[in-house]
Amino acid sequence: MTGKGKSRWADSAEDAALEAQVKKEKEEKKRIKAEKARKAETEKKRREAEAAAAAAQRQHQQQQTGDDDDDDDANGPPAKRRRLSPDRDAPPPPPPLQATPTASSNDNSKLLRFEGGRFGKCRSVENYDKLNDIEEGAYGWVARAREIETGKVVALKRLKIDPKDRSGLPVTGLREIQILKDCSHRNIVKLKEVVVGDDTSKIDNIFIVLEFLEHDLKSILEDMPEPFLASEVKTLLLQLCSGIAYLHLHYILHRDLKTSNLLLNNRGQLKIADFGMARYVPDPPPPKLTQLVVTLWYRAPELLLGAARYGPEIDMWSVGCIFGELLTREPLLQGKNEVDELTKIFELCGLPTDDSWPGFRRLPNARSLRLPSSSSSSSSTPNPTSALIRARFPLLTTAGVSLLSSLLSLNPSRRPTASEMLEHEYFRQDPKPKQEAMFPTFPSKAGQERRRKRETPNAPQRNQKAPEGGIDFSSLGGIFGAAREREERGGGFSLRMV
Amino acid sequence: MSHMMNPLATPEQLYQRRSFSALPIELQDAIFFSTQCLTQAAGLLLQLPQSVTAQANVLLARYWLEEPMMFHEFSDISAASVYLTAKLSPYPRSPRDLALVYNYLLSPSSTLFHPLATLSDDSPPPPPPPTNIPNDYYLPEHIYNSFHTRMLNCESRILYALSFDTHVSLPHSLAITYLQALDFLNTSKSTISKRTLAYLNTSLLSPQMLYLTSQPNALAVAAIYNAAKDVGAKMPECEWWEVFDVDREELGFLVVGMRSVDGWGRKMREDMERMKGETESGRRGGMIRRRDVEGELRRRGLSVGNGHAGGSEEPVDMEAEMARRMDEKMAEIEASAS
Ligand SMILES: Nc1ncnc2c1ncn2[C@@H]1O[C@H](COP(=O)(O)OP(=O)(O)OP(=O)(O)O)[C@@H](O)[C@H]1O
Ligand SMILES: [Mg+2]
Repeated sequence: MTGKGKSRWADSAEDAALEAQVKKEKEEKKRIKAEKARKAETEKKRREAEAAAAAAQRQHQQQQTGDDDDDDDANGPPAKRRRLSPDRDAPPPPPPLQATPTASSNDNSKLLRFEGGRFGKCRSVENYDKLNDIEEGAYGWVARAREIETGKVVALKRLKIDPKDRSGLPVTGLREIQILKDCSHRNIVKLKEVVVGDDTSKIDNIFIVLEFLEHDLKSILEDMPEPFLASEVKTLLLQLCSGIAYLHLHYILHRDLKTSNLLLNNRGQLKIADFGMARYVPDPPPPKLTQLVVTLWYRAPELLLGAARYGPEIDMWSVGCIFGELLTREPLLQGKNEVDELTKIFELCGLPTDDSWPGFRRLPNARSLRLPSSSSSSSSTPNPTSALIRARFPLLTTAGVSLLSSLLSLNPSRRPTASEMLEHEYFRQDPKPKQEAMFPTFPSKAGQERRRKRETPNAPQRNQKAPEGGIDFSSLGGIFGAAREREERGGGFSLRMV
Repeated sequence: MSHMMNPLATPEQLYQRRSFSALPIELQDAIFFSTQCLTQAAGLLLQLPQSVTAQANVLLARYWLEEPMMFHEFSDISAASVYLTAKLSPYPRSPRDLALVYNYLLSPSSTLFHPLATLSDDSPPPPPPPTNIPNDYYLPEHIYNSFHTRMLNCESRILYALSFDTHVSLPHSLAITYLQALDFLNTSKSTISKRTLAYLNTSLLSPQMLYLTSQPNALAVAAIYNAAKDVGAKMPECEWWEVFDVDREELGFLVVGMRSVDGWGRKMREDMERMKGETESGRRGGMIRRRDVEGELRRRGLSVGNGHAGGSEEPVDMEAEMARRMDEKMAEIEASAS
C-alpha cells in the first residue's frame, strides 16, 4: 500500500504541480502589478469607483443598522461587507421548505438572488404524523403522513441505508433527491423536503417528503374490471410523455419507468415517481453506464444486449411497454429472465436485421444470438413490427399501431423522442384525449389500507455490480428448450452460446 | 429547473457567521482559506477535474454557514466534501484514496503551506523545503479506519446541514460561453480565458464567499471584466454585462471582491504560519488544525468552545473537551474493530 502510495504522489509530479501553481500565481501577481501601473488603469479605477459607489449605496439601502463593529482594514475588500445584516424591510424569506421557488414567482429582478433558493438544515420527521403504510418496495418504505402544522397529507419515502455499507450514503438515494429537487413539472412528483430522524448525531433515518397521490397506475390496472377507454389511454400517455420530455430536455434519464412508478391522483393527473435509478446523462452519453437499469419487463433490447452506451431511447422503450399495458391491463413483455425477455421481444417485434438495426451484432450479448443472416431473412416486409403489433392489438387504430410500433423499434434510433411523440397524430384523432377532470375516480388503496407487498421480478438492484462480461446466457436453464420451442413454432431464430 | 442557479446565502446566514460565532472573524477566515486550499490540493492529487473540486469548495462554504467550524477537524470536513462531490460525479474516489491523499497532505513531507520565502521582511527565514520521507505518510490500518469513520460522519453532517441539496452550478463554462459571444478584438481568446478562469478559481478560496452571494452569470461576467482589464483587452463600448443579466452594482462588488483575493490570501497565510509556528514544536508551516486554533484562542484568553453561538463567554469546558476526545477515541476503536 505504501509502495503504491509512494509511487502515486511521492514523486515530483505533485510537487511540481504545486510549485508550478505557486509560480504561476506569482507571475500573475507580477502581471497584475504591471498592469496596475498602466495608464489604462485610470479608466478602470473610475469605473470601479463608480461601481463601488453604487455598491455602497445599495448596501446602505439594504442594511438599516450601521454594522460597523467589524474593523475592516484597508486590505479588506469592500465587497465583504455586503449584506451582512438581515434586511428588516425585506419581505419575510420563504420558508425553508421552498428550496426551489416556482419559476413564475420572479418578475422582480431585485429578487433574482432568491431564484436559486436557499440552503439550510433538514427538519425533523417529527413534524409529521404517520397515517398508514403505503408500500414496502424493493428499495424503500413509503407511508402516508400528515404534516402537523398544516394538516397537509404527504407521502414519506424512507431512504434505505445499509449501516454496514462503508461507502456512506447511497449515491442512488442522493441522486434521487437531487434530481427531484431540480425538477419542477406538473407530471413529475414534487419533492417537498427531506427530513431526518430526531437524533441528528447520527443521520441514519432519512425521509423524502413527496406530494401525496392517491394511486399508482399498477394498482389501478390490477383492480379495473374494464380496461381504460381509448380517450383515457391518450390522456395518460400524453401526461407521461410530457413529463419525460421535460426530463430528457434536462438530460435526465429515468431508467425505471413502469406502471408502479407512475402515480395518479383523483383529478386524473399523472406524475412520474421513483427516481431511484435516475441520473443526469449528458448528450452524447458517456461510454460507460451501468446496464443494470430498468425492471426486466420494461427493459429495452439494447440494454438486454449489453450496450453500455445508451440514451433517452431506453425510457421511450419503457413508454411503449406501458402503452401496451394500458391497453390490456397486463404487462406487455413478461420475460422470466433476460434471455426469455429478449425472446418475447423478438416474438412481438420481429427479428432485428442489419438493415433495421445496423450494428446490433456488435453489442456484447448479440454474439450469443443465432439469427438468420440478413440475406436469407424472410422478414423483409417494410415494417414487420407494425404487422405483429396490429395482430396483438386488433382494436388499436392505425395511428395507435404506428405509434406503438415506433416506440417498440428494436433499433433505438428509430424510436420517437418524447417531444416527437407528443406531436403524434394518434393524439389528434378521435376519440380525443379525455379531459383530466373527467377521469373516473378509483378507490384509493394508498389512502386506506396497507397494501400487500408485491414484486416485479428482476427489478434492478441498487448498488449491484454488473456481472463481468454481461449476462451469462449459458447459465440460464431452459434457454435451449425455450429456443427450440420457438423454433418449432416458426419463430425463425434461436439463442445459443457461442 | 434552476440549472444555472445556485441557492444563495441569506443575509441572516452571513450576519450570523460574523457576529455570533465564538471564533474571531479573522480566525474563521484563516480556517476557511486554508481548508479550501487543502481541498484544492486534494482534488489535484486525486486527479479530479476542477469542476468536481470546485463544487466541493462551494458545498463546504455553504456547510460552514450552517454549522460551527470547530465541530469537525478541518481536514475531515474537507475530505468529506471532496468524497461526496466525487461520489455524485462521474469520477468517484474510494475512501482509501481520500485517506491516502489527506494523510500525505497533512504529513511533514507535503509542501502544502510550507512557509514561503517572500512572505514579509520581519518573518524568520524560511526553513528548507521539506524532504520526502515516506514514513511520514505511512497509513496504518487503524488510522485509515478512524479517518474513514470520521469522513462518513462528516458526509452525512454536510448533507443534513444542506438539506441534501448538493446542486452547485459553476460559472466556469458560462464564462467561456460568454467569452465566445464577446469580441475582444485585440487579444487572444486563450489568454483572456485563462485569466478569467484563474479569477473564478481563486474566488473559491476567498472567505468573502462570492459563490454564496452571487449567481454564476454574475461571477462569470466579473471574472471576464477583470481578466479583460488585466490583459488590456478592449471591451465593448456598451454596458455589455447587461446582456448577461448582470447589473452594474453587482458587477462592481464582484470586480473589487475578486481583485482583493490575492492580497487576502497572502495575509491569511501569514496568520496561519504564525499560529502554526507558535503551537507546534519543531515544524513550522503545514495545514492548520483544530488544536492550533484552540491554542491561539487560549493565548488570546478566549475560550475553546465548539464555536456555538454565544459560546465565547463560557470558560474552557474541560469536561466537554475530554468527552470529545473520548468520542474520537471510541470512533477509532470501533472503526478498527469493524
Ligand atoms: N407520492 C406518493 N404518493 C402516493 N403513493 C406513493 C408516492 N410515492 C410512492 N408511492 C407508492 O409507493 C410505491 C413505491 O414507491 P417508489 O416506487 O418511489 O419506491 P421504491 O421503493 O423504489 O419502489 P420499487 O423499488 O418497488 O420500485 C409506489 O409504487 C406507490 O404505490
Ligand atoms: Mg418503484
